[in-house]
Amino acid sequence: MLRKFSYLALMIAGISLITACSGSSKKSNDSDELTLAPAESGALELSEEVMSDVIQNISSPVEMASLIKATGVDFSQKILNNPHKVDTYNTSYKRALNLGAYSADLGYINTFNKNSIVVSYLVGIKELAEGIKVGQFFDFTSLKRMATNNNNLDSLMQISISSFNKMDSYLRSQKRSNVSSLIVTGAWIEGLYITANVIEETKNEGLINRIAEQKDIINIIEIILKNYSNDPDFAELAQRIGKLRSAYDGVKITTEFAEPKTIEQDGMLIIVQDEISNVEVTPEQVATIIAEIKSLRQFIVS
Amino acid sequence: MKKFIYSFLVLFTFTAVSASAQCGDDLLKTALKAMGTSQYIKDFTVEMVKEKKDTKTGYVKFSVVLNSNTQYKFNIVNGASNSEKMIMQLKQSDKLISSNFHNGKMYEEFQFVCRKTGVYNLYFSFKGGQEGCAKSVLSLVKQLK
Repeated sequence: MLRKFSYLALMIAGISLITACSGSSKKSNDSDELTLAPAESGALELSEEVMSDVIQNISSPVEMASLIKATGVDFSQKILNNPHKVDTYNTSYKRALNLGAYSADLGYINTFNKNSIVVSYLVGIKELAEGIKVGQFFDFTSLKRMATNNNNLDSLMQISISSFNKMDSYLRSQKRSNVSSLIVTGAWIEGLYITANVIEETKNEGLINRIAEQKDIINIIEIILKNYSNDPDFAELAQRIGKLRSAYDGVKITTEFAEPKTIEQDGMLIIVQDEISNVEVTPEQVATIIAEIKSLRQFIVS
Repeated sequence: MKKFIYSFLVLFTFTAVSASAQCGDDLLKTALKAMGTSQYIKDFTVEMVKEKKDTKTGYVKFSVVLNSNTQYKFNIVNGASNSEKMIMQLKQSDKLISSNFHNGKMYEEFQFVCRKTGVYNLYFSFKGGQEGCAKSVLSLVKQLK
């Protein structure tokens, strides 16, 4: 009796083990966490520390949104990535890139106080963030509550940007700068894409200059992505970014010196920089850059 | 003796909780309040502790991209237990552009009118190399035409 029971127990344990193993195996096939695991410093040309410093150097998409609003152009939802496409992003690579894209969209939406659509973007961001295991930095209950209250839009903006900053710091501290770099790239391209659409509509000189000034930033993005080019996905993205960089080849940025100013006003210090940058870019160059931005953005959100 | 130990433990716990509040999210809330109506971009946390071998604390460096034709604001909020205030320097390629410590006076905020897009470095240190914690918030005041 005891022997029978032992055999039975062994069989159950064996079946459980096989099931557990196959379950685990299926999970690892479904998930592609390995491709976005902490990068081994030895395999990188630039160390995690240097990468961390480089990633910090990408400017906030909020600034671009603010510049767009200052032109007086109307808000356009149709240029944003559709929040209902979230379920189609089923790899960590796509999730990270589109988490960045949605963060830029959220910045644009917040800047124009379009709180009626904020929630659907927050839900999308939540799903993507959880998909790459960084959902803990977003207090979605508070964010949703704020989104439904017109008086809280400034707080919503602060908390959502702050959550992204915390997530970014966490990823870099966990030596997951590769994930951080995808989020930053996605946000940067989406910011450029929104701006490019507004330029086509308005031909606004300030926005054209802002796009042209990204010439220096694109080099940083390319350095970041090339650092992880052992991964074929990163290599492909770096190659596409390289095409965009080539479109910038003819853009000239020069610097002239001016009189620096320091003003004290109501106990506050205002410093006016003594260097001024000038941008030279032709309409043809702008058209080429915009075409490349659109192609790259399509690749990211598709 | 027991009373002394209990008092010490209570005092220690209170101090630990209080120190954490001084340098944690409360400090960020104060900095965001000081920022006013500007648009929040980023915040920087500085916590400086002397290593055993050191007599002074050093500096912490962050990098940030600032855009031309843009007016930015930096607000600095010090931890309540800091013995000295934090000095913040804005540099580009080692060239000092501005600081909240100007002509011997310490400012809790300063604005910077950026006229050249590029990578800028922020250096944070405490006067006299003292220990302390602080937060700085970078915000957008306005875009200039």
